[in-house]
Amino acid sequence: MTDEPIARVNSQPQTGPVVVVWAVLAVAALHLFVPLADASDVTPEDDAATTGFYDQVEPIFARYCYECHSHASQQAEGGLVLDSRRGWQAGGTSGAAVSPGHPDESLLIKAIRHLGPEMPPDAKLPDEVVRRLERWVSEGAFDPRESPAEVTDAGGIDLEAGRRHWAFQPLNRGDLPDVESVNWPRTPIDRYIVAKLEANGLRPVADADRHTWLRRVSFDLTGLPPTVDEVRDFVTDDSPAAREKVVDRLLASRAFGERWARHWLDLVGYADQVGTSNNVFAQHAWRYRDYVIDAFNSDKPFDRFIREQVSGDLLPEENAEQRAANLIATGFLVLGDVEIVEADKEKLRVDVVDQQVTKVGRAFLGMTLECARCHDHKFDPIGQRDYYAMAGIFHGTSSTFKTDRGVWSDVNVLELPETDEQRAERAVRERQHAEELATAESEREQAQAELDELNKRLDEADVSDAERDDLTKRRDDAAGHVSELDKVIQHAKFFAPTTPKAHGVRDVDAPADMRITIRGNPRALGDTVPRGVLRVCSTTQPVIPAGESGRRELADWLAQHPLTARVTVNRIWQKLFGEGLVRSVDYFGLPGEHPTHPQLLDHLAAEFMRTGWSQKRLIRTLVLSRTYGLGSEFDERAGAIDPDNRLLWRMNRVRLDAEALRDAMLAVSGQLRASSGGPAIPLEYPENVGGLDPKDVNPPSFGLRKWRPGQELERTIYLPVIRHAAQPEPAAVRNVFDFSQPSQFVGKRDVTAVPTQALFLMNSPVIKRYAQALAERLSEEDDPTQRLELLWLALLNRPISETERFEASEFLQSCGEGGWTELCHALLASNEFLMRI
Amino acid sequence: MTRNTVLRPIPQMTRRQALRSAACGFGGLALNGIVADACRAVGLQADSALHFPPRARRMIFVFLAGGPSQADLFAPKSYITKKHGEAIDSPLADDGQVRVGVTHFLPMKPVAPVRPRGQSGTMISDLLPNLASLADDLCLLKAVVADNKAHAPATLQFHTGHVAEARPSMGAWLSYGLGTQNANLPSFITIRPPADGRTYGAGFLPAMHQGTPLNVPQKPGEAAITNLNDDDTPSDVQRRRLDFIQRNNERLLDRVTADVQMEGIIESFELAFRMQAEAPRLVDLAGETQATREMYGIGQGSSDVNGRACLMARRLCEAGVRFVQVTMDGWDHHGDIASALPNSCAQADRPIAGLLRDLKQRGLLDDTLVMVSGEFGRTYWSQDLTGTNPIEKHGREHQQESFCTLLAGGGVRNGISYGETDDLGYQPVEGRVHLHDLHATVLHLLGIDHERLTYPHHGREFRLTDVFGRVVHDIIA
Repeated sequence: MTDEPIARVNSQPQTGPVVVVWAVLAVAALHLFVPLADASDVTPEDDAATTGFYDQVEPIFARYCYECHSHASQQAEGGLVLDSRRGWQAGGTSGAAVSPGHPDESLLIKAIRHLGPEMPPDAKLPDEVVRRLERWVSEGAFDPRESPAEVTDAGGIDLEAGRRHWAFQPLNRGDLPDVESVNWPRTPIDRYIVAKLEANGLRPVADADRHTWLRRVSFDLTGLPPTVDEVRDFVTDDSPAAREKVVDRLLASRAFGERWARHWLDLVGYADQVGTSNNVFAQHAWRYRDYVIDAFNSDKPFDRFIREQVSGDLLPEENAEQRAANLIATGFLVLGDVEIVEADKEKLRVDVVDQQVTKVGRAFLGMTLECARCHDHKFDPIGQRDYYAMAGIFHGTSSTFKTDRGVWSDVNVLELPETDEQRAERAVRERQHAEELATAESEREQAQAELDELNKRLDEADVSDAERDDLTKRRDDAAGHVSELDKVIQHAKFFAPTTPKAHGVRDVDAPADMRITIRGNPRALGDTVPRGVLRVCSTTQPVIPAGESGRRELADWLAQHPLTARVTVNRIWQKLFGEGLVRSVDYFGLPGEHPTHPQLLDHLAAEFMRTGWSQKRLIRTLVLSRTYGLGSEFDERAGAIDPDNRLLWRMNRVRLDAEALRDAMLAVSGQLRASSGGPAIPLEYPENVGGLDPKDVNPPSFGLRKWRPGQELERTIYLPVIRHAAQPEPAAVRNVFDFSQPSQFVGKRDVTAVPTQALFLMNSPVIKRYAQALAERLSEEDDPTQRLELLWLALLNRPISETERFEASEFLQSCGEGGWTELCHALLASNEFLMRI
Repeated sequence: MTRNTVLRPIPQMTRRQALRSAACGFGGLALNGIVADACRAVGLQADSALHFPPRARRMIFVFLAGGPSQADLFAPKSYITKKHGEAIDSPLADDGQVRVGVTHFLPMKPVAPVRPRGQSGTMISDLLPNLASLADDLCLLKAVVADNKAHAPATLQFHTGHVAEARPSMGAWLSYGLGTQNANLPSFITIRPPADGRTYGAGFLPAMHQGTPLNVPQKPGEAAITNLNDDDTPSDVQRRRLDFIQRNNERLLDRVTADVQMEGIIESFELAFRMQAEAPRLVDLAGETQATREMYGIGQGSSDVNGRACLMARRLCEAGVRFVQVTMDGWDHHGDIASALPNSCAQADRPIAGLLRDLKQRGLLDDTLVMVSGEFGRTYWSQDLTGTNPIEKHGREHQQESFCTLLAGGGVRNGISYGETDDLGYQPVEGRVHLHDLHATVLHLLGIDHERLTYPHHGREFRLTDVFGRVVHDIIA
């Protein structure tokens, strides 16, 4: 605590000494707390008024408000208590609650009129009650109460009622439904789908043709189109296992992890930058990105994936490699938009905690837990106590540290254990580095000597004007050379080879339960809340061993919870079918969407848990279903009954996302370069790094002036993700095609159609380069007819039609020279290329 | 949670007809929810749909990025001037903030004289002579309050109301609330915007409401909008390419029938093409008279770029754009403010004053709200990051506890100063205007009740002012 004038009131002791601190936000708001010189100061003549208040006004407060705004309830929502005159005079974080004589300007009245903050949040008060309080305020808000009232109703949220919400119910897949079209279903999934269609008088449309299916499954699983050979192989493969072969090939390719890792990174707020202020590089973030790619490719069981990301540092390990992976995984908790420039370090700490609670809630539980930071959740059965129970776990976790630069903090850096191989590699790099440094230093010595010599000569008297000009120029050059070498040396020293490191977390020295922070103010503290998990979906609370944060217990709970399974299978479903079975993929709360196929969702969740949380297995099952193979054409009758295709009578069409779009263009133009990961920002080039002088008040920073040769041809996931500005040029497609803001945790991106996209596709130099490369690639084929055939197979993954051949030829002729580039360009910008149907 | 990606055909008219009739124009379409909620997505539009009779129909926001020093420009404090260079006790509570370069508190007087101007006596520095001559047209807010001390979060809050997250920006909310007046132009344009795209993003609002960034072309042939032109390809070839694309798109649409997304993309290509024709005319300043150009400081050294930006802003407003932002960098004076601030002022003074004067001459100021502000202000005590410089070389640290914002035009009381801070220019003592209040007031002037302009997201209704905001009626004419 500080000297800050914080008003404190002791509550009525109940279970122990409790201090509720009310009405504090920033020093800036202090003037609001000056008691008003108003009509409510009491005199003995006010007896009648006193009676009137206790008879007519106070009961309203007691009945409707005290639950969240009184000392006895141990709650002061928004910092406001209404059980004393002082309480509403001081008001909450929004200022005084009542302006005596002025109902229209009184927050309390506005709130009960439901203008602004709506109070009570669940239902508007009866009109006569509103009118009574309005009258009370307009008559001067007489209030004789000097001390907090005693109330008996402890309030709180109704957990039992909350547990009846579908998302918190146990899994119930029911019996596999019977269907009329017994021959249609290929898998249990199809049974659930077609049963529901039949119940609504609908039938699925025809299956998609093989070309369409192959393009669809290739994009969905790898973010890349099939190659011309892959198309030809598949359409001529008559074996019953043809589809399985394709799916297994795709699942086994490195491209699978490169695709699906990006979906996960959207939920993490991943960037190669720490925070948003300045351009501070997250030097080791890439290790987390590579870890996620590996996790998908090795089909790491999802429950294990959760445990590592939430508590990897606390898990036992079998070897150095596993230990390293466990530590890297905790990057999940710190690789978000951490505002490291926040000057108030206590605030930074609780804000980071808030971000972690938010992220865990969003990513695993599909909940908006952050809403319960300042008050009980308005719609969901999640109390402020639930928030602080989980927040306490992260409060016991160290995520950032204060650097010695200005006000800046940084996210924690963990030392990783080395494998023998890594150690040997490092030895080699160290030797190289020492040599390079020595060379640079001796070069610098020479340059300095030259500079000294020139300076000496310039100081001499016998220099002619012409010679002086020449000397000055040479001196300036030499000085430039010296400072350039200084930069190189400084850079080399800063980035000297070290043991591998990662961004991650560790427990603090003495983890403890956390106190409620009123409105997120770390100096306005309420009750201490025991650490634990959401009460509404847990009947027992974990036992947290002394001296530990509780992340291990939290991870265990998450990793066994059916809600986690539901949220996860639903997201996977959404990536493959365009929409989730629960359309609000990130929000399973009460006002969220309900599942269109609850039993199917539970069937998938149950199978997912039963089969070891294997994502590849789930994905394989889904894409081999007949439902996944449906055509996407419109059906008038079905469209009339189910216009949103919620029952899946056809496949949803999906526009490619930024990554798939760019990667596909690189692939079809033959330019895509394989990568095995590694640092995204080329920090090894001194010109990409600034602020290395330890005296600088700002932290070391990055620029993106120079790329590694060929780097701009790697898949988009490997290119730097930044926050302080538009995404870098080689990844400019992200700026245009709905890339997720790396300050948010997003399970499903928006899909927009705006003219900037059209302009990008038509006019940007990069698309022209792709078109040119594609045209060059085609020119290897001499026969124009074959060329067209190839172009269609490569880009649209289907044979060209007669009309198209005719129109394309006509177009080629009209364009003259460069026609093929124009044609390639046009196709790259066409809807059929932009979409997977 | 009704923002489904719907694939629902619109009864009676095609989606494209619907969109044209809704006049949502250039900004394009968000596929999310737009068909089910066409009216909702394109905003309120008609005056009759506004919550109040609007006092302003459009807005220009001149953003002085970095935190201009109110201590030097608008609100000198006699106590500070008296104590110049003399260490005083810390006026700050131990608030847990790390402070850099402020080892002891040295009050620092303004770097140039600040005098009362015009009839109103509004205080303005000698560094802003042109703006000073318009003092009686200005409303100076002197106790504006933000919540964060660092540039990125404070800038984000000024633009979106929130210090983190990616909420819709002020311009996006206005676009959503007011709709556009010109179907070939976006309703929100931001000239030389801050790097952080969230400052002009649409957040969870439909993407058509996001700001369109504009560069200031400085030599002939330079494009104002990225990728607006394809200079390497003859225009007839471009046209043929586009026709070929669209023919293929239409054929695909016929083949697969009814697809809102595909129609949206087709429409966006057409709008882009229209925009290619419209936009260059608007940003081409060649048709402006020499007198006008001079008024804006165009062709006069350091004020040239800002002058062009401000003149473009006026032209865009005339063409029906609802919200234009002009960002002027260079106000983050941590050191040697005495020599740096005059330069920043020289870059901004004529352009801003020129804009106000021009709007006034054209009768546009009456229904155009102009706001000039930084994301926060600066301290009245000095800052010295070197730890060794004399006070003449000191700068000032960020201050979000109180700072100044200028308003003018559309429904604002002019010739007034509103709000006051303590003797140290630190805490507001009266007329406190939090950013949420400023946002509420701006919306009010444009005819919108900030509590009723909402959008559903993550299960609840969101607004620009979150659960805060109070209209500052005292400054409304």
